[in-house]
Amino acid sequence: MTALLRAEFLKQRSTRTNLGLFATMLGLVLLAELLHGLGLPARNLDSAASQLRILGPGEIIGTLLAALLGAMSITGEIRHGTIRPTLLVSPGRIRVITAKVWASMLPGAGFGLAAGAVAVGASTAALRARGITIHLDPGDYVLPLLGGAAAAALWAAIGVGAGALVRNQAATLVGLCAWLLFVENLLLGDLTSLNAGRFLPGAAAAAISGQKPDTPLLAPAAALALLALYATAAATAGSTATNRRDIA
Amino acid sequence: MTEATDGGTPSAGHSDLSARDAAPRATDPAHPDPVVTVRSLSKRYGNVVAVDDLSFSLDRGTVTGFLGPNGAGKSTTLRILLGLAEPTTGEARVFGRRYRDLENPARRVGAVLESNDFHPARSGRNHLRALALAAQIPSPRVEEVLQLVDLIDAADRRVKTYSLGMQQRLGLAGALLGDPELLILDEPANGLDPAGVHWLRRFTRRFADHGGTVLISSHILAEVARTVDQVVIIDHGRLLAAARLDELTGGGESLEDMYLELTARQTS
Repeated sequence: MTALLRAEFLKQRSTRTNLGLFATMLGLVLLAELLHGLGLPARNLDSAASQLRILGPGEIIGTLLAALLGAMSITGEIRHGTIRPTLLVSPGRIRVITAKVWASMLPGAGFGLAAGAVAVGASTAALRARGITIHLDPGDYVLPLLGGAAAAALWAAIGVGAGALVRNQAATLVGLCAWLLFVENLLLGDLTSLNAGRFLPGAAAAAISGQKPDTPLLAPAAALALLALYATAAATAGSTATNRRDIA
Repeated sequence: MTEATDGGTPSAGHSDLSARDAAPRATDPAHPDPVVTVRSLSKRYGNVVAVDDLSFSLDRGTVTGFLGPNGAGKSTTLRILLGLAEPTTGEARVFGRRYRDLENPARRVGAVLESNDFHPARSGRNHLRALALAAQIPSPRVEEVLQLVDLIDAADRRVKTYSLGMQQRLGLAGALLGDPELLILDEPANGLDPAGVHWLRRFTRRFADHGGTVLISSHILAEVARTVDQVVIIDHGRLLAAARLDELTGGGESLEDMYLELTARQTS
């Protein structure tokens, strides 16, 4: 497994794909935080809860881009045909997908951590520039930073599993974007009355990273366990499907 | 090479060219088992039969041409042989085992199935380094194969800047990384210039002379006739002939004439 991991890390380092994703993520997080920090009325930003809430968009972007990174690690191989030499060298497909999961989780965590840091920095700068008092203590940043890193890492694993299941790169990336940005929000609204929306994977990521403090989400530890289950299920489904299917 | 004897029989073989009669296995006493064994192999995709009760085997130290029209089932057979696809029935083994069951298969089998199985933005060297890492092959071997295929000066360029011939050579370098005993090449001469074709011919010959085994799928019959010792010809997934080249063309006919005659019979 160590050899496969080293190979996967080299694949990630040896193209500019992940660098491009990372730069895109930083730009989007910065934009989102400045828009919220500078654009919302000051009366909506004068509490700790409201100041935590505006970190949410940045956290979601970090989570989403980590998921895309994971998905591209397998769909890129399928798209460019490199899955063939990969599996000729390493015919154990479950091990290959497992290596991709772990090799995506590490940069995924980096994406989440960086997104949290940029979100905190940009929103703090925007609020200070407007003369708004910061009500957050250093302890309030633990969840956005470390929780955000954990959520993004687990969503990177979900991305690998989704990519291995769907195989088509464009469909996988559009599907992940649609789920995290639109579908789950719609479901969350519909399921709020049942109190079931908090069990969705995006809601679990939000709970881990301290987003939506005024929404009835799971406790961070429970959400972390639930999201880890989602990630395990996605990775298992993806590796099982890859193991059963013929490679064209 | 022989048609595998403990499995299926040739379904539409040319009577004079039956592999069983025409190509007795030249067995190396030190390595009695065939390098490749395809036995009663069939593959169906829904109602489409891609490979139909195909049997043949290859012995060590031979260069074999794997011939057939487009859609004959050659690529499907190679994919099954290399563990990328599962047979519907029958089996395909290399060194007596399923490809998936080989320990570190890159050390025993090198294969090139497509000429462009590369990430276009990755350099040739990094493509090979990633494969070498996964196969636990020491990194100096990457430089050796780059030198061997004459890509050392272009090794740090992104693959998307490579010509088709350079991509073919990079694929071959990947196949050679583990210093394998068996090479499986699908249309390896595509995109090569005459000097490259000449180099490939000499390389495969030398590889076989040193005990290696080569299976080449190709449409370029004139080149095949100059390269291989024996041929396996299939059409509609069925074996038409498995014979040594000199015996197939012993009557003075060219490989192309025999191939066209065999495939025309199958079609009619």
